[in-house]
Amino acid sequence: MRFDTFVRHAVRAQFRGLPPADEFVRHALDAGVGSIALLTLLTIFAGMNLSVQAYGTFARFGGQEMLGLFCGVGGIRELYPVMAAVVCGARIGATLAASLANMQISEQVEALEVMGIDPMRRLIAPRLWAVTLMLPLLCAYANVVGICASYFAAVHQMGINEGVFISQVKEIVHLPDLFAGVVKGVIFGWLVAIVACYHGYRAAKRDGAEGVGIATNRAIVHAAVLCIVLNMFLSALMYA
Amino acid sequence: MRPLLRALETLGAIAVYLFAIVRSLFTGPRYVGETLRVSEILIRRCLIPVGLAVAPVGAVIALQGVHIFRSFGAEELLSSLLATAVFREYSPALASVMVAAQAGSSIAARIGTMRVRGQIDALAVMSVDPIRYVVLPGLIACAVVTPLLNVLTTLLGLFSGWVFAVVLVGCDHGSFMANLYSQVSLVDLYVGLSKCLVFGTAVGLIAGYLGLQTTGGAAGVGKAANNTVTYTIVLILVCDYLASMLLLSLGL
Repeated sequence: MRFDTFVRHAVRAQFRGLPPADEFVRHALDAGVGSIALLTLLTIFAGMNLSVQAYGTFARFGGQEMLGLFCGVGGIRELYPVMAAVVCGARIGATLAASLANMQISEQVEALEVMGIDPMRRLIAPRLWAVTLMLPLLCAYANVVGICASYFAAVHQMGINEGVFISQVKEIVHLPDLFAGVVKGVIFGWLVAIVACYHGYRAAKRDGAEGVGIATNRAIVHAAVLCIVLNMFLSALMYA
Repeated sequence: MRPLLRALETLGAIAVYLFAIVRSLFTGPRYVGETLRVSEILIRRCLIPVGLAVAPVGAVIALQGVHIFRSFGAEELLSSLLATAVFREYSPALASVMVAAQAGSSIAARIGTMRVRGQIDALAVMSVDPIRYVVLPGLIACAVVTPLLNVLTTLLGLFSGWVFAVVLVGCDHGSFMANLYSQVSLVDLYVGLSKCLVFGTAVGLIAGYLGLQTTGGAAGVGKAANNTVTYTIVLILVCDYLASMLLLSLGL
């Protein structure tokens, strides 16, 4: 099946009534709650690293006091949404692709069709909804954790004045920026899900275990590249 | 007691694995042809994803940087910021993450497939050491290819930043070029390259280990590929932070 055909079928299935509740809840829990531990760990280190790196860079210009500006702009506007999308996208997308590919090679999808159940409606639609709704929440969560980590590193490790840091973050980050992060999350989430479902769904029975590996690999790589490239265009659209 | 025992078992398995890797690094037989073949596949497969992932980052840094520096009237600092960020941080980290996503998951999936199909055991029966023949070529290929890709991505990042700042936003080309290398030194390049070497090695090690540990048929293969990417990204980000702290305290 070609990608555009798949997207057309999937979108039609996604918006034709509510998705099956049990599948939706299962995948939403796995995508959302399952990613929290990983995302927390990564965002803490990425946020602290952002502060440390920015301090090192700005110390060369003698502008250490601009750290808050940099952490606000670099972190909240760009880094955390993309990181949440790439990292959780890799985890969620790989799980989706592997499970769907596994169902394809063990002929479970065909079994559904034989029973007169539309696999797009039963399998794809709840996965699309689950990831599309969960990733923006993860992006928002990453923003909070990340800026706290940046603050901790800046104030307690680099010795920046806490009032200066906070006032600079406040000056540069406004409510629309946070909202933009959530919008990015919705778009990335849908993209990750559709790419992962496509690669998983396309696996054929004759590929066997190898097909699962290939589907997982492609889902991870294509989703990550698409998110990063799309982020550039979204940022250009929103901020330039 | 049970979880403790299991943790000890995993630690033991990792130690045995690392010992086998080190031993096969220093003793023969070596499979040079296989290593070259794997490296070639790796470069061909990684080139486009890594390039596509790093190029937008330069443009995004330029986009947000122009915004900040214009409000201070210090537009000429933009290219210095871009160069430091790309050389030291974004190019190595992102290149390694993408190598983990592309090469790591495909190596883990390939080894995992061989494991669940019994091909690893078949190799061992033919007295071909699977670590030497299957794991080590992938490991060496990752360790060599990641720094090479980093050189390319650094250039790409700078180029895309230049395209955005000079061509699209209209910063002055002369001052962009003049300030580009004012804040970076050779140390930054070496830091980036050695980070890539370490991360690339880690990708190869983790992919090989998780691939060999695969159990449970086709679903297990997907899980091995998935876990490889997750663990490697965690490792890369944590090491990145520690490296930044170390370099800052050394004053580099």
